[in-house]
Amino acid sequence: MIGLRAAQTQWQLDQSTLTYHVSHPLHQVEGVSHAARGKGICDAGECNFLIAVPVKFFDSGDSNRDLHMLQATRGAENPIVTVRTRIPESEIRPGTIHADLEIQFAGTTATFKQIIFQLAKAGDQIKLSGTIPATLSDFKIEPPSLLSIAVKNEIPVRVEMTWKRG
Amino acid sequence: MNLLWFVVFSVLPSGLAEDGNVAAPAARLAIERAIVNSFVPEGFIVEQADQNPPENQANPPQKPKEPSLGDLGFPTAATQPNPQEQARLDKRSHMLKMHQRLGLITIAPLVATVITGGFAGGRETSSSMRDLHAALGGLSGGLYFTTAYYSIFAPKITGTQTRGPIRLHKALAWIHGPGMVLTPILGIMAFDEKSKGEKVHGIASAHGAVGIVTAAAFGLAVVSVSFKF
Repeated sequence: MIGLRAAQTQWQLDQSTLTYHVSHPLHQVEGVSHAARGKGICDAGECNFLIAVPVKFFDSGDSNRDLHMLQATRGAENPIVTVRTRIPESEIRPGTIHADLEIQFAGTTATFKQIIFQLAKAGDQIKLSGTIPATLSDFKIEPPSLLSIAVKNEIPVRVEMTWKRG
Repeated sequence: MNLLWFVVFSVLPSGLAEDGNVAAPAARLAIERAIVNSFVPEGFIVEQADQNPPENQANPPQKPKEPSLGDLGFPTAATQPNPQEQARLDKRSHMLKMHQRLGLITIAPLVATVITGGFAGGRETSSSMRDLHAALGGLSGGLYFTTAYYSIFAPKITGTQTRGPIRLHKALAWIHGPGMVLTPILGIMAFDEKSKGEKVHGIASAHGAVGIVTAAAFGLAVVSVSFKF
């Protein structure tokens, strides 16, 4: 006997801007990366997404600082940051979405629950934006310091992505 | 698995009923597919249903497929850990932290040297302030070159282009580096002339100016990586 089932839908990350923010009394630093890649597979009403970005492609405008960041985050041993999430396919529509994220970074896996993202439709693409409230302690990263003053523990990551149906 | 079933037995010709003909099941399936394909709505695909109902299956239903890192197309080298590179980065960071600490420690005796230099002149062949200035200058020089050692011999990371305020910090080294060699040489010459009761003359008279320019370049190098402009 044969039958019919809903076809598998795939999503591809088209463009992305990931921006981390680090605070120090003397410096406010932002590092930006456009090198993320991502894929989503939707099957049976549920979508699994994977986004990955190389640690060394974050640019803060200072090559010396970027190398220290690479060292502090053990970026040579763990070169890729990965983000995994599972979302009901019915929620992929313009509006607000809450997602549980599993992030692997600096050799540690951390879970962030109910992170709010905004989805907006742009033609046949979906634009996603939001902020992940990450901290150095989430990933067991020793806080770097300048003039013997350590940076703040909070390192929020601003996410802006454009996904297209594959 | 969420399935939408569509039964087509009623449209099959009776001649293809299973009657011992080994080709009958395959032919039946082909006809079923052809009929169903004509009516498949958008967003659905045709598949062959399991012969056993789900409760009789030995294996449970499979989880939805998840993408893997290999699906994203990163080069293999970009995803592989490199412990040697990490060790190199660790050594580099350690040495540059020492460079930073020693550089900050050097500020105090260097400032003191410049201040006491203003009182190191005079007509006397021997002066305690002149001796103090010389001692502080020696201490500053020792700390300076120890600071420089950690920077010069910190491992370099290949493929890195120097960008940002660190460029100014490195460029200023070409001023305060030679200055910290020339200033004590001129200072020794000036000290000898004073000790003989002579007026400081010739190239030795440039000791003060060279020292001040050197100290200013050093101070600017510290500020260039401490504050954001």
